[in-house]
Amino acid sequence: MNKYLLSKKIIINELSTFYSFLIGLSIGITIGSIILLTQGQNPIEVFSLMLKLSIGSVKSISSSLNKATPLILAGLGISIINSVKLWNIGAEGQIFMGGIALNFIYISSEISNPNLMIIFLLASSFIGGAVCILFPAIAKVLFGVNEIITTLLFNYIVIGLTVYLVNGPWKDPDSLNFPAAAYVSKEVYLPTVFGRLSYGFIICILCTLGVHYLKEKSVFGYELRIAGGSALTAIYAGINAKQKAFVAMLIGGGLAGLAGGVELLSQTHRVSTGLSQGFGYTAIIVAAITGMRPFGIFLVGSLFGALTIGGSVIQTMGVSSYISDVIQATTLFGALIAQFFFTYKIIRVSEDV
Amino acid sequence: MNQIILEAKNITKSFGSIHALKNVDFYLYESKIHGLLGENGAGKSSLMNILSGIYQPEVGSIHINGNKVKKLNPDFASKLGIGMVHQEFRLINNFSIQDNLTLSKANIYTDNFKEGYEKYSDIFSLSADPSTPISELSVGEKQKIEIMKLIFNNNKIMLLDEPTAVLTPQETNQLKISLKKLSNEDNKTIVLITHKLKEIQEFTESIFVLKDGVMVAKDLETKNVTKNDLITLMMGEIKQSDINKDNKKGTEKLIVENIHFENIHSNVPTLNNISLKIKSGEILGLAGVSGNGQVELANIISGIERQYTGQVIVNGKNISNQGVKARKNLNLSYIPENRLGVGLAPGVSIIDNSAVKDYFKSKFGPHLSTNKMLDYLNLLITQFSIKAPDPKAEVSTLSGGNMQKLLMGRELISNPEVIIAAQPTRGLDINAVEALHDLIVKQRNNGSAIMLISEDLDELFKLSDRIIVLYEGQIVKEFAIEEADIENVGLAMAGLNE
Amino acid sequence: MFDIQLMGLLNATLQAATLLFIAALGELITEKSGILNLGVEGMISIGAVTGFMTAINTGNIFLSVLVGILSASIFSSLHAFVTVILKQDQTVSGLILTILGLSLSALMGKKYVGKKLPVKIESVFNVDEPKNIIEVFLNQNYIFYLSIFLMIFTAYLLKKTMFGRRLEAVGEDSKAADSMGLNVNKTQFIATCVGGGFSGLAGVYLTLSYVPYWTDNMTSGRGWIALALVIFGGWKPYRTAIGALLFGFLEALVPRLQTYGFELSPYLVKITPYAITIIILIGLTIYKGGRTGAPSNIGIPFFRESR
Repeated sequence: MNKYLLSKKIIINELSTFYSFLIGLSIGITIGSIILLTQGQNPIEVFSLMLKLSIGSVKSISSSLNKATPLILAGLGISIINSVKLWNIGAEGQIFMGGIALNFIYISSEISNPNLMIIFLLASSFIGGAVCILFPAIAKVLFGVNEIITTLLFNYIVIGLTVYLVNGPWKDPDSLNFPAAAYVSKEVYLPTVFGRLSYGFIICILCTLGVHYLKEKSVFGYELRIAGGSALTAIYAGINAKQKAFVAMLIGGGLAGLAGGVELLSQTHRVSTGLSQGFGYTAIIVAAITGMRPFGIFLVGSLFGALTIGGSVIQTMGVSSYISDVIQATTLFGALIAQFFFTYKIIRVSEDV
Repeated sequence: MNQIILEAKNITKSFGSIHALKNVDFYLYESKIHGLLGENGAGKSSLMNILSGIYQPEVGSIHINGNKVKKLNPDFASKLGIGMVHQEFRLINNFSIQDNLTLSKANIYTDNFKEGYEKYSDIFSLSADPSTPISELSVGEKQKIEIMKLIFNNNKIMLLDEPTAVLTPQETNQLKISLKKLSNEDNKTIVLITHKLKEIQEFTESIFVLKDGVMVAKDLETKNVTKNDLITLMMGEIKQSDINKDNKKGTEKLIVENIHFENIHSNVPTLNNISLKIKSGEILGLAGVSGNGQVELANIISGIERQYTGQVIVNGKNISNQGVKARKNLNLSYIPENRLGVGLAPGVSIIDNSAVKDYFKSKFGPHLSTNKMLDYLNLLITQFSIKAPDPKAEVSTLSGGNMQKLLMGRELISNPEVIIAAQPTRGLDINAVEALHDLIVKQRNNGSAIMLISEDLDELFKLSDRIIVLYEGQIVKEFAIEEADIENVGLAMAGLNE
Repeated sequence: MFDIQLMGLLNATLQAATLLFIAALGELITEKSGILNLGVEGMISIGAVTGFMTAINTGNIFLSVLVGILSASIFSSLHAFVTVILKQDQTVSGLILTILGLSLSALMGKKYVGKKLPVKIESVFNVDEPKNIIEVFLNQNYIFYLSIFLMIFTAYLLKKTMFGRRLEAVGEDSKAADSMGLNVNKTQFIATCVGGGFSGLAGVYLTLSYVPYWTDNMTSGRGWIALALVIFGGWKPYRTAIGALLFGFLEALVPRLQTYGFELSPYLVKITPYAITIIILIGLTIYKGGRTGAPSNIGIPFFRESR
């Protein structure tokens, strides 16, 4: 009789997160196919259509990348915060707050140069996101309050605030079916690079590079790494871990807020409850699955953007758009499970000689 | 003639690529006290963990009372009567003594807890009420509970892993008496796992010696074995260094005056009126059992702790309430006792850990240059003979000795003016200890003022020029090295002065 | 008149509280063993949709409740497998569980949106407009009384029985518990599945009694509130019940505020329960000085061969 033991591997393959993700993706597609079959759909037809309409043309690739942009930005923010082993579950709320802050600044100020205005508005969305996370950040740093729960609860506060605003003071009388704020003027729409691809995506690329630099090459990123490894080592090294963690949280929240701002100026063009459809939560998992690596977040985020676009268009075939959510979730679970095999070794133990 | 109650045959065990045990044989006589001697890293803990069911050997068998045992896990081992007390206690801090003693499935004192508790707290001279939470007990008391745990689980075979590491000489003596009572009157079979020759000779009747995973001596009769025999078996060759204590001593580099510090978790002053001076070229040994204020004093001198009254003066500059950076700028180095957790950050790479001391001095450029960090690490590796093949690997993948070399190397490479070293050689094998001692003496000869905090009296006596004893936050006695011996220092450590 | 309104408020409070409490109690049990399961929202959803589907198709309430509980329990075993057996990060796994649970249940429930239930969970004694406290209590259904029983039973189990003390030991210090011969993996796995079952029960209560229909996003964040309630209650069943009552009260109060003559926008008022929870949480953490009563081992995977 053989027994099996777990032993943690000492050196873990750097590409393991990438392979895990691929394995997860295969599992996700498989599960998705099974569900489609049970609903009487042909998986090959459905997936072909999804592929065609999400990456089959320049137009669709652009849509997918636009869709991915807020996901990536929020994920980048989460990856910074996780350097100090903290979780930002409030990205969803920060996205909305970014939109709210942007709209607020928009209606209360007047800048003639539209490009300057756009930059100003995006900056305010960043600040909005940071303000959103401010309270949980202070609570965590000063009193040690669990940031998972506080950032989470803030989501509901901000979403509630959004509902209030779009039904109340900001309610657009011209929008009959759907309570929403008024559209911002066309002047401040984020322009496109070419075709449909928004400048938001360029911002996304820049942020990815910036966050990569911050995390890997800067002194600040180093301090975060040490503080994340051990709070005691940070104190010993003269790093004010609490201060660094606070700043990291603000930057992370700000990036999520920026995601909201970019989404507003490039896609929805107004504040509404549809500003985010759960990106804030998906971003957390995308960040985690890629091992909090900015480039990985960029790639996986882009893929998920394509999946979401694909999912929404196959509704014409009578398939629920939720199928893409299920595929995404199963992919992530699959990747998590696959990670296990790269981190641990299973040893067979003999009974006796 | 006592029966052989437990026998382990041909045990082999590896962790990854590290071979901990190779074809080891080991056996125990009923009611005897045995010693398992070996340096740190020889494989003693691994063998004991296998006997107690925590680890599984890849090859080998275990026999109890002549019967071969199949798959062993802690539960089953306990049922067979084998129990182990580890170096790090496995007591649930927030639970009461009674909970910790009775929650195990093997507990035999379910109905008569009170009687059992009275009987054994007598043998151990323990005076705590069973409802006391573990967090309120002293280290010595916690150890007693750990041993009682074994008794309550009907473990007739008791494995004790380095039990005297955390005890004063007086408590050690008490332990010896309790163990002898348990062996003679209560029929318990005991194994003492240690690297301390003194304990082996005073406590045990039968000695086994492990060296580098191989059992080099079995069942030696303690009376007939000399210290030198044992040392030769354990280590092969001893590297003794003769330390010249007559070296030149210079100006006072570290002055500490009237330090008073209150621990926020209790009302008793943790440090009370501490004053000391260390000259250049001098090693001041700070003796004391863990928990008498050493960590707090080290934290104050190094700038980690800032809420205190009193003065800290380094090289003439008063930096009393400034932080760590002020110390770093004056070239004060601190080697904390908690090597992985304070000195080195777990979960962080070796290369990142090597930069902990100097990263902010822009030595690596305004942002961190990976190349410069790598150069710095390689410098440490060559100068201090550190075995670290992959700089990006997590620091905890290094062996204990290499981690300590990395830590000390990082702190010593700048030729510090003042060094605070806390438990620098704890848990390391003899060769690593020698190498680190040489490093310390070299720094001393270069003119550093060194404070050596250690529970290892041998180390203190070997290296120090003066010894002060810390007990309950006060300096209770000071000795010049010529006047110090194990008696008077040990007594002072326990708070008993003449 | 005033009396009936007050009783109506009490009635709604108890119902809202029951729903929150059952899910919170289940998570409490899971967390006591040292596992954090952020997937409560998803598990409630699974229980809700499967219970609803069974009720529509079979008309058998008892079967529906059973199916809801079991489905959520099996669903939670996914989290148990990933975190207890495979030792992966509990926060990430729990969040994926939520997303998966919400999207799976939306997928399953698509055809059932807007359908009418043939049966509901009945009250013990049906009283249309309770006029006093006794009538309010009689108007509650048997899941309410079940939740009271579960509260007392869990409290007793944790404090007074060997089983409960051992569960706590695993969550406090899994290494020590392991050295005591307790099976950490088994305890944590079972505790997670039991917690899932409780969430399933809460979900069934949601769709077969509280709001008896099915639509997208039914749970509307209650799972997250349940998580907060566990912390608020200091991992003690009775205190968690008090928290559930408080929150249930706020939830019941919100639609009634306008009738009491408050001018505030109902949308803003809807935010207050969440804001108050945060404030209470912060207050509690400060008051307790960090010792909130959390199982010391929570979130840390247990690994015996660690070296």
